[in-house]
Amino acid sequence: MEEGNLDDVAARVGGQISQNRNSRVLTIEPGKLRDACKFLIDEMPDFYHLSTVTGFDEGKTIGVIYHFWKGKEFLSIKTSVPKENAILNSVSDILPASILYEAEVKDLLGVEFKGNRMTLQRLILPDAYPPEAPPPLRKEADPEKIRKMMELE
Amino acid sequence: MSYLTRWSRKRSIWVFPVNAASCNGCDIEILASLTPRYDAERLGVEVVASPRHADVLLVTGTANSMTRGILKKIYEQMPEPRLVVAVGACALGAGVMRGCYNVGHGVDKVIPVNLFIPGCPPRPEAILFGILKLVGEHPRGQVVAKEQIGKVSTTEHEEGEK
Amino acid sequence: MSDKGNNSPISGEEGSAKREVSAGLMQYSPENLMPFGPVHPALHEPEYFKLILEGEVIVDAIPRIGFVHRGIERAAQDRTWIKNIYLFERICGICSFAHSLSYVQAIEGILQFEVPKRARYIRVIVAELERIHSHMLWLGLVGYWTGFDTLFMWIWKDREHVLDLIEAITGNRVHKSYNTISGVRKDLPENISEPIKREMAYIQDRIRYYRDLVSREETLVVRTRGIGKIDAETARKLCPVGPLLRSTGIARDVRTEDPYAAYDEIVPEVKTSSQGDVASLLTLRADEVLESCRLILLALEKMPSGPTKLTAPRSVPKGENAFHVEAPRGELFYYIRSPGGITPERVKIRTPTMANVLTATSMLKGYTLADVPVVLTGMDPCFGCMDRISVFEVDKEKQWSVRGEDLRQYGISHYKTKKL
Repeated sequence: MEEGNLDDVAARVGGQISQNRNSRVLTIEPGKLRDACKFLIDEMPDFYHLSTVTGFDEGKTIGVIYHFWKGKEFLSIKTSVPKENAILNSVSDILPASILYEAEVKDLLGVEFKGNRMTLQRLILPDAYPPEAPPPLRKEADPEKIRKMMELE
Repeated sequence: MSYLTRWSRKRSIWVFPVNAASCNGCDIEILASLTPRYDAERLGVEVVASPRHADVLLVTGTANSMTRGILKKIYEQMPEPRLVVAVGACALGAGVMRGCYNVGHGVDKVIPVNLFIPGCPPRPEAILFGILKLVGEHPRGQVVAKEQIGKVSTTEHEEGEK
Repeated sequence: MSDKGNNSPISGEEGSAKREVSAGLMQYSPENLMPFGPVHPALHEPEYFKLILEGEVIVDAIPRIGFVHRGIERAAQDRTWIKNIYLFERICGICSFAHSLSYVQAIEGILQFEVPKRARYIRVIVAELERIHSHMLWLGLVGYWTGFDTLFMWIWKDREHVLDLIEAITGNRVHKSYNTISGVRKDLPENISEPIKREMAYIQDRIRYYRDLVSREETLVVRTRGIGKIDAETARKLCPVGPLLRSTGIARDVRTEDPYAAYDEIVPEVKTSSQGDVASLLTLRADEVLESCRLILLALEKMPSGPTKLTAPRSVPKGENAFHVEAPRGELFYYIRSPGGITPERVKIRTPTMANVLTATSMLKGYTLADVPVVLTGMDPCFGCMDRISVFEVDKEKQWSVRGEDLRQYGISHYKTKKL
């Protein structure tokens, strides 16, 4: 595989590249996400494969990673958004495969994806999930309390 | 030949398997018990496509918040007398999933259960044994009445094979 | 939860503009709607598909997934690394070994463990046995849904031979509980190579027969040829994985592109097909079973001696790792973050069905209602896998749906923007 992919993207949109075992991670500003994904796809016009979109709670922020798989490596684009104002621009129009993965992140971690129509309503969680409870994968969420609220006991 | 086998040969036991948030393991073992190696059909056990035709409901899985309503509805659709078998550790009490935020701790909290088959997943032999034992031990007509849905007593469970 | 959106995901210009992108969201009237599921004889798992019909023809399919959602990813954060192996195995009863394989290898990456060579070979053997059993299960089910019960019974009878081998090696039929961090939990039993060779010869023999059968048996051909077609262009866009992707002619397989376990030494040949319909999936999966048989025999032949596991520490240092394996249904992705301790901070799992479901809904379009079971089975759905944490639905508005008053009330309260 060509080494240059992420370097090119980094040169165009900024951000740092780090090597983490089998993945090369490009950390960028939230606002640059769309540009970065677009450049990356243009770099791999023959075939890109979006493995998934991961979200995780970093304490004060929520990290979102787009994992692209190419050859023996993952090319990952990572960004983080503050918890109180977790809004990102969706890439589901340029990357159709991401529409479900973003919806998953939205429901489990409460990150809004602007432009992804599947996130306009509650998508992931069961109908009975209490709206007042925090999204289940945030650190403040307590499974036992949620169980009680859902009357599963 | 035992009374049990003779009994089940005379009658036919129609079962309807329901997956109430199971991992598939129990479901494929239920299907496997129908196939030539175990051949449940020689005992008259047959899977039907609608709960309205079923004598026995085979429930797998933890009955989470999405499936418990469906489960109740399916139970109500079954003709009387109806028998319910909870198959697998998840149906008995959530098994390894215990404590997850969206699992019920046991199918018996949702509908009355006549028999529990433990195992993760139970072997096809165990499932067959359970179904036959159930039908042999519970003569038709002595099963839980419709009004008792959701308020099953603990003695009910002890009759089952825990 | 978020009723702030002014434009509903179904109606509106935006929806129609991005129709193909979003698994087909478009305007429709309730009269054309056909609910499929959640409990349906054609799906052994509870899932709900809303089919929009024009006469008999499916214009659109909208899935509502999440009936098997249990919250495993959250539960994993409270359990130790070792306990989680057995939790993740129980995500899915069919590809449980693939789940544990991906998980432990992700941890081994963080620990920078060199897994003993013998353990890596044994992992290949069990993983391939699981692939055979999964593919045979699927071939049988296609027979079942097309009304060809004999095929179902025959294949499931032969599948028991594979399960016997799995049981002999791992001790369990379904949830193998065989992997552990740093290797496999026990060595192969003595004198196992004789039974493996015998059964592999039997399986190969039978699969060759079935492969021939499915390509010319009239009842199957009529139901599957040209049904559920996808082309490579759609596949590129929607990123499906596994046999569904390879049936469009794209040779993409984690085992060859990014070898794990011992796949760098036991190199599989990637099978593809170019038709992209259910019939080609049938022969493709049969080919993959034959290939798996070859790999098992090869691994058995080259099997090195030595230990099968090392002593692994209980805690994992700080770090993160992404790992994927080729499960029977395709790429299975794990991403783990360790805070440095005995429990993980985050485990993200993306299962093959989650990646394939968009493609499956686009496969349904244009075919008749009678084809739904075949096409849905064609993608080899494993909703147990998919729903462990990830669910999606398109809308909640089911006021006129068959499912009763409680849903109706819920739908009304939750979906106010829809113009009926």
